[in-house]
Amino acid sequence: MSATSDQDLIESWRDEPAPLLPVLHAFHDRDGYLSEESMRSISQGLRTPIAELFTTVSFYHHLATEEGGKEKPRVCNGPVCCLRDAGKLLEELGEGATAMPCPGRCDEPVAVLRGDEVLLGLSATELSPIPSPLPAPNPGGLDECVFGSIREPGRSTLEGYRKTGGYEALEKAVNKMTPAELVEEISDSGLAGRGGAGFPTGRKWKAVAEAPGNPKTIVCNADEGEPGCFKDRAIMDHDPHAVIEGMALAARATGATRGFIYLRYEYPGTCAILERALNEAKAAGLLGENILGADGFDFRIHLRRGAGAYICGEEGSLLNSLEGKHPFPRNRPPYPVTHGFEDLPTVVNNVETLVSAPPIVLRGAAWYQALGEGELAGTKVISLSGDIARAGNNEVPMGLPLGTLLHDWAGGPAREHELQAVTMAGLSGGFLAGDDLDVTLDEPSIRSRGSFLGAGGIIVFDQGRDMVAAARNAMEFFADESCGKCFPCRIGTKRLTERLAGSSGPGEMAGWEAEVRDIGKVMKATSACGLGMAAPLITESLLKYFPEEIARRLK
Amino acid sequence: MIEKDDSRTMILDGVEVSFTPGETIYEVASRSPGEIPTLCYDKRLDPFGGCRLCVVEVEGVRNPVASCTTPASEGMEVRTSTEAIDEHRRILLELVASENRQIDVDPLRGYASQELTELVDRYEARTGRFEGARSGSSRTDDDNPFILRDYDLCISCYRCVRVCAEEEGDHAINVLNRGFETRISTEFDGSLKDSDCTFCGQCVQTCPTGALGDRKAMRYEGEPGNIEKTRPICPYCGVGCSIDVMTRDDRIIGVQPAMDGPANLGALCIKGQFAYDFVQHPDRLSTPLIRGEDGELHEATWDEALDRAAAGFKEALEKHGAESVYGVASGRAPNEAAYTMQKFIRAGFGTNQIDNCSRA
Ligand SMILES: Cc1cc2nc3c(=O)[nH]c(=O)nc-3n(C[C@H](O)[C@H](O)[C@H](O)COP(=O)(O)O)c2cc1C
Ligand code: SF4
Ligand code: SF4
Ligand code: SF4
Ligand code: FES
Ligand code: FES
Repeated sequence: MSATSDQDLIESWRDEPAPLLPVLHAFHDRDGYLSEESMRSISQGLRTPIAELFTTVSFYHHLATEEGGKEKPRVCNGPVCCLRDAGKLLEELGEGATAMPCPGRCDEPVAVLRGDEVLLGLSATELSPIPSPLPAPNPGGLDECVFGSIREPGRSTLEGYRKTGGYEALEKAVNKMTPAELVEEISDSGLAGRGGAGFPTGRKWKAVAEAPGNPKTIVCNADEGEPGCFKDRAIMDHDPHAVIEGMALAARATGATRGFIYLRYEYPGTCAILERALNEAKAAGLLGENILGADGFDFRIHLRRGAGAYICGEEGSLLNSLEGKHPFPRNRPPYPVTHGFEDLPTVVNNVETLVSAPPIVLRGAAWYQALGEGELAGTKVISLSGDIARAGNNEVPMGLPLGTLLHDWAGGPAREHELQAVTMAGLSGGFLAGDDLDVTLDEPSIRSRGSFLGAGGIIVFDQGRDMVAAARNAMEFFADESCGKCFPCRIGTKRLTERLAGSSGPGEMAGWEAEVRDIGKVMKATSACGLGMAAPLITESLLKYFPEEIARRLK
Repeated sequence: MIEKDDSRTMILDGVEVSFTPGETIYEVASRSPGEIPTLCYDKRLDPFGGCRLCVVEVEGVRNPVASCTTPASEGMEVRTSTEAIDEHRRILLELVASENRQIDVDPLRGYASQELTELVDRYEARTGRFEGARSGSSRTDDDNPFILRDYDLCISCYRCVRVCAEEEGDHAINVLNRGFETRISTEFDGSLKDSDCTFCGQCVQTCPTGALGDRKAMRYEGEPGNIEKTRPICPYCGVGCSIDVMTRDDRIIGVQPAMDGPANLGALCIKGQFAYDFVQHPDRLSTPLIRGEDGELHEATWDEALDRAAAGFKEALEKHGAESVYGVASGRAPNEAAYTMQKFIRAGFGTNQIDNCSRA
């Protein structure tokens, strides 16, 4: 079989929405890298200036521009894998192997990406592809929303999904509810964004429903780039139709007719699962025109693979990436609800947010609201990893004490050491330690300690761990992933990394602290997006809990 | 319902000011005294929001906002300079200075080349704090005669990239890599002459650090004497761009675009920007020349020359008819002159053989 011509590859995507990423991947997959000729063809075919295309390609970690680059192994140098000697594995794999940021397999380190395969293992000889584990049932037998049906056998197929109540929420929404009632149900439930920022979902849907301009768009944010977060992967791998149903509900509520799933590059297996599920749904008339026989209920979903950039999970950057632009975050206002994909009204929702919608619609706002502790609404999926006996995803009631999760649910420390610190929001929330480990898992409690719950990744460090090294590893991640748009983050993440590594900056504590605090202050106050605002929580919390460790290091 | 009076008011540093919906805080503030510092801003370009120096406090909003990107809104209360804001600005400038070679460049490098230096001085940010790796890397290998690419001085404000795309439509350069590793690059990181660059010099003139330099003007760096600026219209074409011709001792040493030129608002093309050497070139003709009986060219007055040309035209017309005349109007002529030219050929000679040279 001869390889498909440049012309054919471009033609097959040119008239599709958001064509740049799929065209780049088509060439990248065909040749194993993006050659100069390929980029020139794409530039002409899609009418993108060549300098822009060339530099945009350079933005993405996983687009190789040297022959054979795609198949070269990439070894995770994320916070969890580093606890398991990822550096040694990188060495073992020898020439051509390079480091990459966390690919969301922190529950079974160390992760290696090779071509379209993710391999797990602690040494080169042990590496093997292992599918995402199912989340373990919670010990209290508590009612769940996101994971309520995920363990049902066959759930990932359309048949299995339908057998266990799948698409009944969509049927209910179509047959028994108006779009406005649908929005109201979601609003009343108290569901808030699970991708990090916690914006009330009902309010977002309402804003898009009311915004002028068509067509409207639903974007499922499946970029999950935060180190220590791997919940969306588990959801999509085991419950892909729930994602589709959630998006269809959002479409019904807002009048949107097109949808995108923006999936991170590092989830190739998930990509295949979603593709299959989308085809099944299309064939069954659950996507397309006049869905479920409802006149004028048209909705299509396009799957788009990212190419390796944490910032592309930030919604403005994600939208620019979809549109084929340089993926810098956008200035806000305006917000995506009025000026989203192609400057039209757009819902951007996290995977977990979207899959919460079907059970809420079926079982009612009051049911969901009551899942949380006390006044707190609903549940949150926590990805737990690091020095903990049972790493994995847990759906907890909002407000569950952190200690209960760590000790009762997850079996406490993995090694002989006591727990020392945890991260919050993956890495973005910095560290919690000491007395602050008594928080409950909800924003008010965690924010009162200067951190935030965010997307719900928690990495555990026991007493045997070097927290300055952990902080440096985290700051290196932010520096590598800073998009370079704004000065405080572009320069600040670099300077903080240098100071944590001891490679430049004052050699005594007072001077060190003054510089680090000033950089952190200006980053928090003036950065253009959440990456730069959150990164200094790492140094701030290190100074708060581990000043002696820093001082020892400086000597 | 369309409202007749579109103006709104907001409070700026305690004073009520009016604005038109759609204006940014910065645009409103730029009409009042007190100067909000900026580095990534060029009023001709879409606001970018990169440098964050323009941050201001808005009542009721937790974090400062970038005034260049944030729209003004009714009743908004804005403080453009407070202790906290000024401290943020100083720290930001200290950070920028730390990634830079921290040298002061000659103003001949470009129109905006002193912006960083001036701000660093204004905020007393030459403190040497935050030392660490430098960013950028100069392209000493790019030996084009017009544009110095001294990226050691680059602060990644991307004004050059944006002016090239938004004003010039050339998209010759863009942002390579990300984070601290960002660099300005052409396609495949080559030289400007192997790219879509037209050498219009727009990027040079908007660069706030002198990382991009006007190589032709830089030939005269460091020479004694004052530089005088004169504002003519570029002589090359009918657009009529205003330029500031820089002279020292009556010698042209460079051209900068007039940012307030009504036809160009700071835009120029390679000709207006760089092609002025002919003005004082020794080979330039300064009087008409007429070829004499001896076959040599001799200096003549304009009257003699025009008489001679008219005689030649007449002779051709009498001997060979109107079809022997073909007029080509110069692309440097404005519409009015081009109109007169075609009238001259059509009505004067009775032929439609009239053309213009602008077909390169
Ligand atoms: C640096 C950065 C990275 C982000 N990454 C993700 C991500 O991977 N997935 C996600 O859903 N949201 C991410 N977000 C949050 C999104 O910008 C956005 O708030 C979210 O997708 C909205 O969906 P939600 O309301 O359902 O949470 C990120 C934000 C920032 C600042
Ligand atoms: S904060 Fe960082 S990631 Fe966000 S826009 Fe600024 S440089 Fe880019
Ligand atoms: S000289 Fe003009 S065309 Fe060339 S890079 Fe600069 S702005 Fe672009
Ligand atoms: S070369 Fe000049 S204009 Fe371009 S990004 Fe650097 S400092 Fe800004
Ligand atoms: S997979 Fe390595 S840290 Fe997440
Ligand atoms: S001038 Fe507003 S961010 Fe640079």
